[in-house]
Amino acid sequence: MTTPSKKDRKAILVTPEICIGCRGCQTACKSWNQLPGQKTKNSGTMQNPPDLMPSSYNIIRYSEVPSEANPVRWLFVSRRCMHCDDAGCMKICPAPGALYRTKEGAVAFDREKCIGCKLCVAGCPFDVPRYDKDGKVAKCHLCYDRIAEGLQPACTKTCPTGALKFGDRDKLIESAKQAGYSKIYGEADLGGLGSLFAFKDAPKVYGMNENPAIPESVIFWHNVLRPLAVIGLGGAVVGALIHYAAIGPHKDEEEVKKS
Amino acid sequence: MNEMVRKASTEEIVNHWIMAVSCILLIITGYAFLFQLKALGGLFGGFNVMRAVHNWSGVVFIVSLVATMFNYLHESLSMGADDWNWIKMGGGYLSKGPVKAPPMGKLNTGQKLYYLMILVAGILIAVSGFSIWFIQGNRALTQASHLVHNLAFILFVVGVPAHIYLGTLANPGTFRIMVYGTVPVEFARKKYPKWMKEIGKL
Repeated sequence: MTTPSKKDRKAILVTPEICIGCRGCQTACKSWNQLPGQKTKNSGTMQNPPDLMPSSYNIIRYSEVPSEANPVRWLFVSRRCMHCDDAGCMKICPAPGALYRTKEGAVAFDREKCIGCKLCVAGCPFDVPRYDKDGKVAKCHLCYDRIAEGLQPACTKTCPTGALKFGDRDKLIESAKQAGYSKIYGEADLGGLGSLFAFKDAPKVYGMNENPAIPESVIFWHNVLRPLAVIGLGGAVVGALIHYAAIGPHKDEEEVKKS
Repeated sequence: MNEMVRKASTEEIVNHWIMAVSCILLIITGYAFLFQLKALGGLFGGFNVMRAVHNWSGVVFIVSLVATMFNYLHESLSMGADDWNWIKMGGGYLSKGPVKAPPMGKLNTGQKLYYLMILVAGILIAVSGFSIWFIQGNRALTQASHLVHNLAFILFVVGVPAHIYLGTLANPGTFRIMVYGTVPVEFARKKYPKWMKEIGKL
């Protein structure tokens, strides 16, 4: 498993303070990944689409959070797969290779290997995985195909203000701290996230979970039930063998003679 | 000589085989999903095919299990003093020599308890399985179903090998019931005295 300090782990650093909400990242993502547009309805906000969709691997969340100093405060948070080091989706996935880790630390997916069980949706702490019309998983893959060739992801490449930055994870954290962001969201959560956020305020102001974690049911299943399934079968088989060797077949002759 | 008595009807035998095959397929594919066993997936032609095998075997299994309720549920629910004594002596499986077990009917106490366990675990694993299969968009429900499915799975992987052992090696002469449905009268008098008395053959 990759660790947060691992040298070649890449990440995206999101700095909402300098995001202008242009949605260039959304468009670039669709363009590179050849994702179709989807019809949405006006829900009374500039945010569109309203949430991550099978054909929208990233969105900018438009949160109106007025403060005393700034009565028209709009927080733009560019959201996508967090590429957790300890990924709940990968833990629960039953199909080998459907969700996999690239050497850059991205959680990528293989449509051909996905069996469409949708368990990853239940295992994700961030409500990221979506399913396309063929019933296959669809989410941000950190442009694994681009970054493997030394390019940067489509979204960060197109960002005009530097609100999205791609690079070595360690260096991004260091630069954000130097820029005065003392606490980086995602620095240590879930073994370290591949999507980092430089927040000035508490994460919940930006609509983020303060303490993201893999669902407890998934952890219990992974750490207790999964081993028990092997111990149980092994115990039953070994128990039967020992019983056969030590005690042997059932004998109930006496029963008849005495009854 | 060698008079036979019919213990299982053709319908029971066929249904038990349907249940056995689907159950073993479900357990094998279940382990393949649980531990992402690539080689097993390859045996079925990939994980996508294996998913279909698993889901539809589940349908076959639960239909088969519901059918058994007409055969075994009533007797499995009727427990008496003999059953309590049977449990106290472990059915005679805990000592080497011949034992005097309390007289049993067509099903012994262990079989009744096993049947009830499989029935409960089967209903739980089927309901949770259908939930994972068909109900999407409810995280809490999927998480709970996933837990229940795996808990019931553990009951199966412990219970089924024990059941197979008890029906073959541990009790020579019983496996033929699954093939012919009949056993020699002499054998039946030892194993199922209460039932034999009921049908007037003791």
